[in-house]
Amino acid sequence: MNEGPQKLIDEITEGFSKHGYICSEQIATAVYLASQLEKPILIEGPPGVGKTELANTAALHFNQEIIRLQCYEGLDESKALYEWKYGKQILYTQILKEQMQEVLEGAKGLKESLSRLVDFEDIFFSEDFLETRPLLQALSTENGAVLLIDEVDKADEEFEALLLEILSEFQISIPELGVKKATVKPLVMLTSNNSREIGDALKRRCLHLYIPFPDANLEKQIVLARVPEIADSLRKQLVDFVQGIRELDLKKQPAISETIDWAKTLILLNSEELDVKLATDTLNVLLKHQQDIEVVAKEVPRLISDALGSSNGKSLN
Amino acid sequence: MERVLTDFVKALRNANVRISPAETLDAMSVVNDVGYKDKELLKRTLSIVLPKTPEEKDKFDICFDSFFTDEIKESTDQSTPELNKTPTNTESNLAKTLLDGSQGEIMLAIADAAEESEIREIKYFTQRSVFTRRILEKMGIGQLEDEILQMGSQGEGDAPSELEKKLRTELTGLRERVSDYVQQQFLLHGDVSGEQLREQVFKSMNMAQIDRSYMQEVHSLVRRMAKRLANMHSRRKKNYRRGKLDIRKTLSDNWKNQGILFDLSWSYKKVDRPKILVVCDVSGSVGAYARFMLMFLFSLTEVVSKLRAFVFSSNLGEVTQDFKEANLEPAIEKALQKHGGGSTDYGQALSDFVSLCLDDIDKKTTVVILGDARNNFGPEKSHLMKLIFERAKQVYWLNPEGKYRWNTGDSVMTNYSAYCTKVFQCGTIDQLERVIATLLKTAI
Repeated sequence: MNEGPQKLIDEITEGFSKHGYICSEQIATAVYLASQLEKPILIEGPPGVGKTELANTAALHFNQEIIRLQCYEGLDESKALYEWKYGKQILYTQILKEQMQEVLEGAKGLKESLSRLVDFEDIFFSEDFLETRPLLQALSTENGAVLLIDEVDKADEEFEALLLEILSEFQISIPELGVKKATVKPLVMLTSNNSREIGDALKRRCLHLYIPFPDANLEKQIVLARVPEIADSLRKQLVDFVQGIRELDLKKQPAISETIDWAKTLILLNSEELDVKLATDTLNVLLKHQQDIEVVAKEVPRLISDALGSSNGKSLN
Repeated sequence: MERVLTDFVKALRNANVRISPAETLDAMSVVNDVGYKDKELLKRTLSIVLPKTPEEKDKFDICFDSFFTDEIKESTDQSTPELNKTPTNTESNLAKTLLDGSQGEIMLAIADAAEESEIREIKYFTQRSVFTRRILEKMGIGQLEDEILQMGSQGEGDAPSELEKKLRTELTGLRERVSDYVQQQFLLHGDVSGEQLREQVFKSMNMAQIDRSYMQEVHSLVRRMAKRLANMHSRRKKNYRRGKLDIRKTLSDNWKNQGILFDLSWSYKKVDRPKILVVCDVSGSVGAYARFMLMFLFSLTEVVSKLRAFVFSSNLGEVTQDFKEANLEPAIEKALQKHGGGSTDYGQALSDFVSLCLDDIDKKTTVVILGDARNNFGPEKSHLMKLIFERAKQVYWLNPEGKYRWNTGDSVMTNYSAYCTKVFQCGTIDQLERVIATLLKTAI
């Protein structure tokens, strides 16, 4: 019994790496637990460490559809859960007017006509007139799905309350139709950049995964998986260089996505070895603030010699 | 086994990690799945289920390591025979364990005895010695001491025997080890009420009297307070949404009413965040308070985005940028070094303030002045206060001195208070919190 979980976790790691996502043990464990406990995961971490990508990969791995809900300020239930197709309803009533007349024909008195009409209302508030939005969609897929609620911190606090029912019970109450339960519980992932503190109620219902910047080893693997054509020595130098930059005091640290972009850039430039000029010229791929670029530009020679030194040391070993 | 987990949760709660019963249940079902065997796996899984912020995760790591080193050994070593239950008279079991037993056995004996003395109930640090003694007694230290005494009396006058010497050193070692163990357990299990007590004291103590060595703790307290205040008031703002009629949304929303505009939607312009300008006196006369004032100012800049901070003793300077970029200690040091310690000149500070940012003061601005209004009998320039007062939405003055001392000596509180919306006494953290709560309520 004790071997089971570890084996399954290893399987996840392996499966993810097939899709080009190298994950740490921590991430794999989180995915395993989420599918085991059927609980949503709240993923936090600095931007660009692959939070959204994790959900995409999970969908590929479990061979399920990914349903994505991008959060923004002012997002409400008609955009997230469901909406009635009012236009269609009105159009249909117009078209069906004559039929209605027929139905009502011969009805004696108000009471009888009303009782005949009552049946109609149910038709207009049926699933045919229901516009499903991402959250409801995720509940109604037959093969299960990966539901990604992206940047939940961007939405208003009221929206969090809306999520609670779905996340804990996997159901949505629609007044006209009753409670809609999930046929297959979707794997839910929420991401947050921590621009606002997420409420305790929501946190309590989720597993919590924090993805930090990767260590040098993991990052090298990631670059290898994402940019396989890169030369070994360059890859090591590049990652060591980026790791060095992260130790500086910057406004925005370069994340994995930036490392990958940079690796691609260097390949485009046909470079095989990192040097001071090359690094300085391409810094803007890695850093997104002018201030940061200025700070790092001063440090480039030192960082380069560190990166070259360590990779040479390794090759000697 | 469930006991182990609940104890661990308790230990986590002591370390200020908030864990709800529902999360404990989650943890239990997880543990049922992964088991206790693989410690790394256990740590990874629990760290996903229990702590919910990066800070909590750090605390969790520390807690887990110190908690489960013992727990796991205890539960796997269960098979070793029980020790020290019935000490014999000839040579006590304890002596045997000390002399022959491995380190692990001794630790195990300590853990067993600790378990019997209900070490988990430890609450205050003053109880440490009691528990240490209790554990030692449970382990049979009385007999061991007797034995050593006997050996001494038999040997009359001679140098103490080898055995006696050895036992004595072992005994001192054991004492230390037990007291370390108790200390460690105390950190895990005790202190919730202790810490709360300490915080209570800090809150109601005059800020000038809090020793600087408690800076760290007070800072975390102040920071939590600032965060809570900011959270509370950012939520409050939402109730005030008003705005223009959002025609597009109204039209589309009212399809269901056959196009009759029944439910109106409003597009609210994002409420302009309030502007708060805080001016803090860091001169010699308020030196003792300055640190805490700055600490609070710092925490506030962390949580309220539109806040500008100024400090002065005679000349005034802006520190907003420094506070945003640096950490607490260096930021405060820098502010004090640059502006602090000199003699106070409110007149000069006010004219600096006016020339620096009078244009920024408008009907949405709240100006907060922290200081004792002791002006060294210099020119007060209260007409500048009037100018600020007339332009700003409100002006608050927070005075760290007791009310009875206002207007004594060189204090010119009255002259300034005429141009303040309100003047508060603010010498303790509690008072400070109350004042800031009022401030945020009215400023937003």
